[in-house]
Amino acid sequence: MKFQDYYAILGVPRSATQDEIKRAYRKLARKHHPDVSKDADAEARFKELGEAYAVLKDPEKRAAYDQVGQNWKAGQDFQPPPGWDAGFEFRGAGADDGLDASDFFEALFGRRARAEQHYRGPDRSHAHRGQDHHAKVLIDLEDAYHGAQRSISLRMPALDARGQLVLQSRTLDITIPKGIRAGQHLRLAGQGEPGIGGGPAGDLFLEIGFNPHPHYHVEGRDVFANLPLAPWEAALGCSLNLPTPEGPVQVTVPERSAAGRQLRLRGKGIPGKPAGDFYFVLAIVLPPALTDADKAAYRAFANAFHFDPRATPAPSRKVDPR
Amino acid sequence: MSTHSTRNMSTLIVEEEIQLTLVELCQACNAPAEYVSAWVYEGVLTPSGQTPEDWRFSGESLRRAQQARWLARDMEVNAQGVGIVLDLLDEIAALQSRLQRAGLR
Repeated sequence: MKFQDYYAILGVPRSATQDEIKRAYRKLARKHHPDVSKDADAEARFKELGEAYAVLKDPEKRAAYDQVGQNWKAGQDFQPPPGWDAGFEFRGAGADDGLDASDFFEALFGRRARAEQHYRGPDRSHAHRGQDHHAKVLIDLEDAYHGAQRSISLRMPALDARGQLVLQSRTLDITIPKGIRAGQHLRLAGQGEPGIGGGPAGDLFLEIGFNPHPHYHVEGRDVFANLPLAPWEAALGCSLNLPTPEGPVQVTVPERSAAGRQLRLRGKGIPGKPAGDFYFVLAIVLPPALTDADKAAYRAFANAFHFDPRATPAPSRKVDPR
Repeated sequence: MSTHSTRNMSTLIVEEEIQLTLVELCQACNAPAEYVSAWVYEGVLTPSGQTPEDWRFSGESLRRAQQARWLARDMEVNAQGVGIVLDLLDEIAALQSRLQRAGLR
């Protein structure tokens, strides 16, 4: 487990006031929110920020973190010293979103069950349902076409028989249903946090995402692939055998096809009711004029057409209104 | 570290197979019922049913409620502001996916 420098993550000095911490977090959170930022690591960065803020905004957790953290630097191997948290009491501790926090956070603050039992006192008689937990699972696009079985590993803190905190690793064998789309969630009833005082367990929500694919771009149910064509293929039309996630298909490119034209294969997107569509998006690639023979061919081409691409306004690219 | 394994989990797609009650949505997005109610009254979430006890939220509400919870709790945006921000985020997402498609060539 690596030590996390929450102050460095928020870019504030250790002496920062609560207001400075709040301001720094908000500024960075606006920048790195995954719905706004298109950086590949926006989601990881946003999660890291959330975790740092969850600790530093809370004076109790911040004090505990400061005490344990003064001798460590970011990235160093870290084990919490025994009894480090004596005298601290974390109300509503744990990743308070039910989000998947780092091992480091869990080791320090993920002792919700114990803290809550302690906080509520021994006379608390009625049962309490465990919190819902959330995690993200990346699958391949092909899994959404065919369905799949996946084993996923989750780690969460739990109490052993002696009331000691241990990190427990669970492996869940789950069925990825055919037709699932990125951004959808699977609910696994009763697989969240265990209940307290005999209450029912919370649920586990898994958010599905697709691993980036070298050839396909997915939008909801629809799947897009780039189809590069030579100028003569686009001008004269052609018939091609092309791969799709469902297997190869025979595609006819009509003559006089322009770049940007979309060839739709109805119902060949992600399966479902209704199934999505699959699109080939045409792109025209010019052969490079490298040799004298290439250049001569281009000159012959030019002489054959007397074509001035600037004579008329360039045709506007067609994008489907959505 | 101890390990245990659970086999053959049954899974449901939240967005397609599940409707959530107010209590379930509050648990799933870890927000108090007053927040969720305020979002309903601002039109951020649109459950079926007339009274909070009868409200049924579509599975699509989960993601929206999670975003709303972040805005309300960490950014201290009020319910009206949450509605405006989420509408703008939806619009940005739609524009970005159009850009991505157009940029595929």
